[in-house]
Amino acid sequence: MTNVIGIGLLLSYLCILIAIGVYGARVSLKTREDYFLAGRGLGSIAVFMALFASNITAFTIIGHAGFSYEVGYGAYGYVIGWSIFVTPFTYYLVGYRSWLLGKKYGFATQPQVFGGIFNSKLISLLFLVLLLYYTLPYLVVSIIGGSLAFTTVTEGLVPYWVSAMVLIGISLIYTLPAGLRGTVWTDVFQGTLFLVVAAFLLSAVARALGGFSEITADIVQSNPAMLERSLSEDLAPINWFSYSFVNSIAVVVFPQIYTRILAARGSNNLKQVSLYYPIALAVIFGVSTLLGVWGSVAVPGLAGKEADNIVPLLIHQFLTPTWMVLGLVVVLAIVKSSIDSQLLSVAHLVTDDLLPRFKRIESGQAVLWGRMLLVVFAAVAYFIALIRPAAILSIAGFAFSGFSVMLPVMIGALYWPRATRQGACAALVLPAIMLHLWYLGVLPEWTTLGFMPVFPSFVLAVITLVVVSYLTPAPSPEQREKTFGLFERVFK
Amino acid sequence: MSFKVRLGLVILIVLIMFLLHNSFWLWDLDGRVPLLFGFMPFAYSYYIGYTILAVLAMRLVIGLAWPDPPDDLFEQTGPDKHSDH
Repeated sequence: MTNVIGIGLLLSYLCILIAIGVYGARVSLKTREDYFLAGRGLGSIAVFMALFASNITAFTIIGHAGFSYEVGYGAYGYVIGWSIFVTPFTYYLVGYRSWLLGKKYGFATQPQVFGGIFNSKLISLLFLVLLLYYTLPYLVVSIIGGSLAFTTVTEGLVPYWVSAMVLIGISLIYTLPAGLRGTVWTDVFQGTLFLVVAAFLLSAVARALGGFSEITADIVQSNPAMLERSLSEDLAPINWFSYSFVNSIAVVVFPQIYTRILAARGSNNLKQVSLYYPIALAVIFGVSTLLGVWGSVAVPGLAGKEADNIVPLLIHQFLTPTWMVLGLVVVLAIVKSSIDSQLLSVAHLVTDDLLPRFKRIESGQAVLWGRMLLVVFAAVAYFIALIRPAAILSIAGFAFSGFSVMLPVMIGALYWPRATRQGACAALVLPAIMLHLWYLGVLPEWTTLGFMPVFPSFVLAVITLVVVSYLTPAPSPEQREKTFGLFERVFK
Repeated sequence: MSFKVRLGLVILIVLIMFLLHNSFWLWDLDGRVPLLFGFMPFAYSYYIGYTILAVLAMRLVIGLAWPDPPDDLFEQTGPDKHSDH
């Protein structure tokens, strides 16, 4: 850490982020749409990096590497395999139709889009409550994970409470003045940075361990189980299948991802994103997998949570201190790009969908409210991250599943004219309740038939939407026309 | 080809990709297939191939069922449009 080049790199990185915040604030208009949606003018690279950087968290480089350390090469397909195709596909399936409605009717969030489709304030409120309920714990966990990683990489030099303050503080420097534009510009910078540094890091570790082929030969000889998925209990087919319903299909439901899709300039930008996305996901998780598996022979004997430290340990034991600082910059970039987008999206949801229920908020006031709420949420998240209450961590444990089981209603609303508001309400509430009953241990484990709770909850959401919609009066022709009349003009 | 048929083909693509991800019958090859480039076992290199296939599948989806909106679609705004959006 005393390395002059390293400190220079770290300071340069921070200066670039501050410059982006200052410049972003100067070019931004003081309107709601400009602050929260960057004027719906994001190009292909901006949308791609914004989605990708918001999607990648500390788990990618820390947790996933730790998981790969324990289960081997199969971790790659288990965690990210289905996402490689289905996450960009959901940008088409849900994203494009939502973008069309947003552009046409001025919708900026899920409560507005789906409340608008069903012409229902209750649906809008349910989306708002569920999204905040799952996003806030997820935000706190991102801060906890990032701060622990930061403290680990600095070998305890920066204590946990300072790490959390630094991560949140730096995120606010550019998000507060420049809104979505600030976070997107830093995403372009940080996303490029962590992809490039991660690739170089992999190459440097490989060289230090004797070369790609030599390390693999070592693994084949000393721990051949790392090659075979069928030898790992964690990767049992029923878990593998169930996990397809956890993170991969949840991504498009995250409010920070959904809003960025609505902020795209045109249809062509979203098409480009869906073509770049599989490659970027495969690269970053591919690097993380290899580092984790290689770590199992280079630094053997780590158990449980200790395995999550494998990347910092590899850097510390086999590379120079400058690499340690580069690793620190990567951790900062990855963690902050998800924290800033989560903070902005919760501030956006409250400003645009909660406050207007009580008072009319003009465009300029919305920006002011957004900034105040950003500070409030940042402060609240910081204190919760310090206390780490068990209840919050327990909700965060199934937040991804919570997002996933909202997807059937979103798809039904966009593709099925017969879907009713009653059907949507029931399909949002019932699976959320069941998910809680299963994850909090109220219902016995056997009732999920061996699957992870997310799968039966997802099926329940589909069935509930269909059955209740057929049992209730069909939406009025005017209501259908507003959504499906628009789609008929596009999808011919 | 009508849009419904094209959407049907898209669903077929999704099902094939899902099946290829949950291809448990191929797991026997994990320990038997030679390492790709000398360092990538089958469980890993399979997903390199899957990534290429995913890009091609998305390219197909775009060609089949992702039309651009007509130029005049956004000209008139609906009554629900936020006054300041």
